[in-house]
Amino acid sequence: MFLRHGVACSALTGSMDTRHGVVAITFLAFFMQVVVEASSWWSLAMNPLLIPEAYIIGAQPLCSQLAGLSKGQKKLCQLYQDHMQYIGEGAKTGIRECQFQFRHRRWNCSTVDNSSVFGRVMQIGSRETAFTYAISAAGVVNAVSRACREGELSSCGCSRAARPKELPRDWLWGGCGDNLMYGYRFSKEFVDAREREKTYAKGSMESARLMMNLHNNEAGRRVVSDLAHVSCKCHGVSGSCSLKTCWLQLADFRKVGDLLKEKYDSGASMKLNARGKLVQVHNKFNPPTAVDLVYIDPSPDYCVVNKTTGSLGTQGRLCNKTSEGMDGCALMCCGRGYDQFKATLVERCHCKFHWCCYVKCKRCTRTVDQFVCK
Amino acid sequence: MCTGLRRTACLLRLTAICVFLSHTAAYFGLTGREPLIFLPGPFSSDPPSGKAHLKQCEQLSLTRRQKRLCRREPGLAETLRESVRLSLMECRYQFRNERWNCSMDGRGSLLKRSFKETAFLLAVSSAALSHALAKACSSGRMERCTCDDSPGLQHREAWQWGVCGDNLKYSTKFLKKFLGQKRVSKDLRAHIDSHNINVGIRAVKSGLKTTCKCHGVSGSCAVRTCWKQLSPFHDTGRLLKYRYDTAVRVLSVTNAATGEVELAGGPRRYTSTSPGSVAAGGPSSAAVTPRARPTELVYLEESPSFCRPSRYSLGTAGRPCAKDTSCSSLCCGRGYNTALRLTTLSCHCQVRWCCHVECQTCLREEEVYTCKKH
Repeated sequence: MFLRHGVACSALTGSMDTRHGVVAITFLAFFMQVVVEASSWWSLAMNPLLIPEAYIIGAQPLCSQLAGLSKGQKKLCQLYQDHMQYIGEGAKTGIRECQFQFRHRRWNCSTVDNSSVFGRVMQIGSRETAFTYAISAAGVVNAVSRACREGELSSCGCSRAARPKELPRDWLWGGCGDNLMYGYRFSKEFVDAREREKTYAKGSMESARLMMNLHNNEAGRRVVSDLAHVSCKCHGVSGSCSLKTCWLQLADFRKVGDLLKEKYDSGASMKLNARGKLVQVHNKFNPPTAVDLVYIDPSPDYCVVNKTTGSLGTQGRLCNKTSEGMDGCALMCCGRGYDQFKATLVERCHCKFHWCCYVKCKRCTRTVDQFVCK
Repeated sequence: MCTGLRRTACLLRLTAICVFLSHTAAYFGLTGREPLIFLPGPFSSDPPSGKAHLKQCEQLSLTRRQKRLCRREPGLAETLRESVRLSLMECRYQFRNERWNCSMDGRGSLLKRSFKETAFLLAVSSAALSHALAKACSSGRMERCTCDDSPGLQHREAWQWGVCGDNLKYSTKFLKKFLGQKRVSKDLRAHIDSHNINVGIRAVKSGLKTTCKCHGVSGSCAVRTCWKQLSPFHDTGRLLKYRYDTAVRVLSVTNAATGEVELAGGPRRYTSTSPGSVAAGGPSSAAVTPRARPTELVYLEESPSFCRPSRYSLGTAGRPCAKDTSCSSLCCGRGYNTALRLTTLSCHCQVRWCCHVECQTCLREEEVYTCKKH
């Protein structure tokens, strides 16, 4: 495609000076480069799950076929091919949790296409971008740690974390815990690879965005590691707790999503100072810790469709007439008003268990009022 | 006033002025344009001297008739200031967690339109006025009224050592003269305003309770003294806030039988899910609409969104909020900033004989959350 453009251009500029033609071609090349970089490793979540048998060791073309990976990520892919499936699953978990947490807000974490996944919204360093980076990094930690515990990956096994100090003495520490350490390190290597392989001029907007991405990825991973807790099972005489075995278990991903949503609400607005470091815009507020989310740009207006910012607008979104929050019709529809429709919902009801062993349900229809933004 | 105008233009101008006067006489309270020194404090301890009330009557922004009433009654000026203070405090207290927090900014523009907030302001100002008048009568601060002298109180001959009941009857009668409600105008807006004022007065009336004290032989109820007492203004404020939450939007309807303008309510919002509840049909389905009840607040237009700065309010940026409860609704989805604040408070308090309390001051760090600007 690149060659075709070059040929067409040179044909068109036959009468022009060849120098102009070369300049035009290089300009086109840069433009293509920018568009290609907009796609990201999140696209691993969008493609259908690839079965492990497809990853034959040494089959290198598979990694280069995966769109959206940077150079460093492609190298990691070739080294750890069996991890790729779980990275995709982790990204998918992250995206699903993001859509759950934002389902009541104007930007609802919707995916636009299969290569850049969220569209041009991610090019603005807003709070929503911060949340997306954090939760996808957290999803990868989750997925890789679980895969280690289940024995799916060849390079890691059960957690070898040290016994925590506050555990009572007569409890056993063992079992097979989620390998948080490995998941954390692998996620750090893979997700941060794209950011680490580039260097930008000190004080430029790209360097600010790079620092912001690294901070938010780290925040997502730390939230998973902070929420991991000790889980125990009693297996003494007739199920009593005289004998107890404990292990490290990752928290349910919904809790991770809830905590990151809180961090999203209290995110810190940052700017570049003279020395090229990220500092807070308002000094009087608390400085962000490693677990807090940071952002550099204000959020764009998600009310209207805007191709430059990538906002999809709120037209056609369902809203809740009685709510006072962001999903209420006043705020969701941005003052444009709403239409009312009657929708028929078909659901299962009057379910009965038949011996043996199936459940038979009837179908009930219910008409509800739905409100859709104009 | 009518020099150089034709007769019709003169008549129009006179009716406009009459309508304007009859409308502005209805709301008595702060409109946001008074100088700051006007803000009254609680009752001063020294008794009102002879002519001081005349100067106070001039300072308040009253119509000519109201000024005449004020000059006749020495204790009225102080009572008016007390009622303004009462309504201000109560309004701010009831709306402390809402987006519109009853601030002075935008009050003038708000009073020009007919929103739910305007209805509440009218009701609370008239309720405060009647409450303050009744209390002033029973406290002996007014010359023309004293204790409640309604018949039907038990053991009238023993009342010389009873309690002086709050004189709500005089207060209601005086308010009708003061707020000029005798003149019923055909203007819809004036109709709505007088309806809301009556809601406020009724709210105070509903809080009037008969309290009795038994003081017979060894505390038995053989001899009882009863008197009428107004409930504290907080209860009235809470009741009016409930009325604000269940306010009804109206259209004007001409009663075919009497030819008078009536206030017909729109469909009511039923908060409890009863099986026969009417689904919200929108203001267009005005075919069968009941009359607005005399205890319901009415309004004409839907309130604007108070999230962003507009001519009706300053917006919710910078408002303090509570992280778990009110930040999500108050900040309109923009998130909040966290700051640490050092507060001093009294702690380790001990009673010293006799009879004062000695406390130490402790320093405490607490987190303060304020809504973000964007």
